Amino acid sequence: MTALDDPAEQVPTSAGGDNHALSTAVDDAAGTPPAPAPGGAEAAGRRSWVRHLTRWGAIGLSLVLVGTLGYLWFDSRVPSTYSVIDMGYADYGGGAVPLAGHQHAGGVSVSTLTGPATGTPAVAVTLTARKESFTLASGERVDGYTLNHASPGPEIRARVGDLVQVDLVNESVPDGVALHWHGVRVPNAEDGVAGVTQDAVPVGGRHTYRFVAQDAGTYWYHSHQVSHEQVKGGLFGALVVDPSPADLVLPVHTYDGRRTVQGASGERRLPAPAGVPARLRLINTDNGPLRLSVTGAPYRVVAVDGHDLHGPTDISDRGVVIAAGGRVDLSVTPPAGGGAVRVDLGAGSSVVVGPAGASAPAAVTPAAVVDLLSYGTRGPVDLDLSHFDRDFTLSIGRSPGFLDGRPGLWWTMNGHLYPDVPMFMVRTGDIVKMTISNDSGEVHPMHLHGHVALVLSRNGVPSSGSPWWTDSLDVDDGESYVIAFKADNPGIWLDHCHNLPHATDGMIAHLAYEGYTTPYVIGGKADNAPE
Amino acid sequence: MRSLYLWLSRLIALGVVVQVLVIAWSAFDIFNKANDGVPFTEDTDANAGQLVHSAVGMMVIPALALIFGIVSFFAKVPGGIGRAWITVGLVVLQIVLAFVSFDAPVVGMLHALNAFAIAGVAGVAGARASRAARSDTSVAAPVGSSDPGVTAGA
Repeated sequence: MTALDDPAEQVPTSAGGDNHALSTAVDDAAGTPPAPAPGGAEAAGRRSWVRHLTRWGAIGLSLVLVGTLGYLWFDSRVPSTYSVIDMGYADYGGGAVPLAGHQHAGGVSVSTLTGPATGTPAVAVTLTARKESFTLASGERVDGYTLNHASPGPEIRARVGDLVQVDLVNESVPDGVALHWHGVRVPNAEDGVAGVTQDAVPVGGRHTYRFVAQDAGTYWYHSHQVSHEQVKGGLFGALVVDPSPADLVLPVHTYDGRRTVQGASGERRLPAPAGVPARLRLINTDNGPLRLSVTGAPYRVVAVDGHDLHGPTDISDRGVVIAAGGRVDLSVTPPAGGGAVRVDLGAGSSVVVGPAGASAPAAVTPAAVVDLLSYGTRGPVDLDLSHFDRDFTLSIGRSPGFLDGRPGLWWTMNGHLYPDVPMFMVRTGDIVKMTISNDSGEVHPMHLHGHVALVLSRNGVPSSGSPWWTDSLDVDDGESYVIAFKADNPGIWLDHCHNLPHATDGMIAHLAYEGYTTPYVIGGKADNAPE
Repeated sequence: MRSLYLWLSRLIALGVVVQVLVIAWSAFDIFNKANDGVPFTEDTDANAGQLVHSAVGMMVIPALALIFGIVSFFAKVPGGIGRAWITVGLVVLQIVLAFVSFDAPVVGMLHALNAFAIAGVAGVAGARASRAARSDTSVAAPVGSSDPGVTAGA
């Protein structure tokens, strides 16, 4: 096809023609008409006029397009320093709205919400954080982060009512560190979130956490400063309250593509007597769901996220899924007639529990997993569900847009991109209902700090099994959970996705108590970056 | 402006070639690691090929395509506006297909097919622009011919 075949456009003759189209466009933009075609009658003038109109239309359209995208880009940028209480919008969940509106000025600083200032700690630990190369228990070298030269960090064991004191020392983590007590109901100032409840501890710095262990169960601690990198690199450890000495505490973590349990890849053999139930406290410290299976004997799920289940029954043909950040306690009994039990953790990692030398059957991947909504039997619930003071909705989606200037397809919360996310506002004593729905195409392990929530229903089906208390709940694509909790721990708390790269991409909302404020900022001198 | 149009069309076509190269690298890297027993989960870092593929596919090519579309208004290439905006449309479709493919991997075949369409349309657009430029320099356009001018829909 030549130029002449295309009636819509002809090679222009103006402004010297051919390759000087650029100067033509510039001339046009400046309003200078091109030289009129010779022999131009009225028709030629009209054609020229039409051409001008079209040209201006094209320029206008281009400006609108570029301007719109430019505005969206500009508007999406997040300042380098800001306070979480100034971002997003307040959501009162249909409850009481303060007369002063969404103002925290003059509120109580969360830095005052510390644990007991006096008293001798029953458990005192010093944790020294380092960025360094270390060797896994199974021999592989890893470049990452350690606490007291180890990853996982030291296992902390406490009894209910113990005052726990942890001195965090940052020896060599350039970005700074902060320790969050995942699932533990600590006072807000001890929550360890850089930029919200404290400043990140710089190299050479020190921070002391003091709190009373209130609830028995399996928990863990991990960095909440640049957490998507530091947790992945090994800056975490287990915290167990009221364990029996024989309990096996099993943090599962993937280092550099190697899945490990207790810091060792491959098969890990753990001695346990035959015929005696052993309690396995599994912690998923990764970003994705952990699907495990048990072979060799029936087993029970005896606790989820630190809270015992009511009336657990034997399981033999189903696996269990642990949400990222979540914990599950299993009860397994090595058969009295010899043999061991294998708990397969996927990706070549497993634990074999039984008498020394006993062999365990190979792993079998069951087709189905235990549904915690109907597992166990109904039991007493220490939460008044007769009325709710707040009714929040958190709907997770995905939308194209700019996130801090970067174009992409990003996670949204209630239709908005970070930082335009909801701030769930409550008052102390409120009973809160929250509906979390997910239509984003991927599973999101939602983690609420400082509280434990009861699952009421999923996709409209009420919970029919044991009361299911959770702090790290996998909300799968297409699912909608209704949970409830009591707002009994004042402060400002994160409510975020524990797939930590998702949090980095803006899946962070907050639960804020009316009348409280934080003196800390994201960014700032401490370079706080909690996600 | 026309030479800018020409170079943008070539860059977009070249971008598609780069995408094919790096995604093949990425796929073989995954096969290689999987053979070594490396698990692929949420905790797996994207390999170099994936990183380049997403940066080029989500930012470089869309930006080039958008500039291409805008430049086409002023480049005075016969049929050039249409081809440029078809390219823009196909690039948008390509991103949609990519994200659909994460849930439905078989759709990835359409993603690959559409990549050839992008390279093809951009390539033809470039060839036309280059031909138009050549014909301009060899044969002066007849002065005063019935020139309907550039129309937005062309």
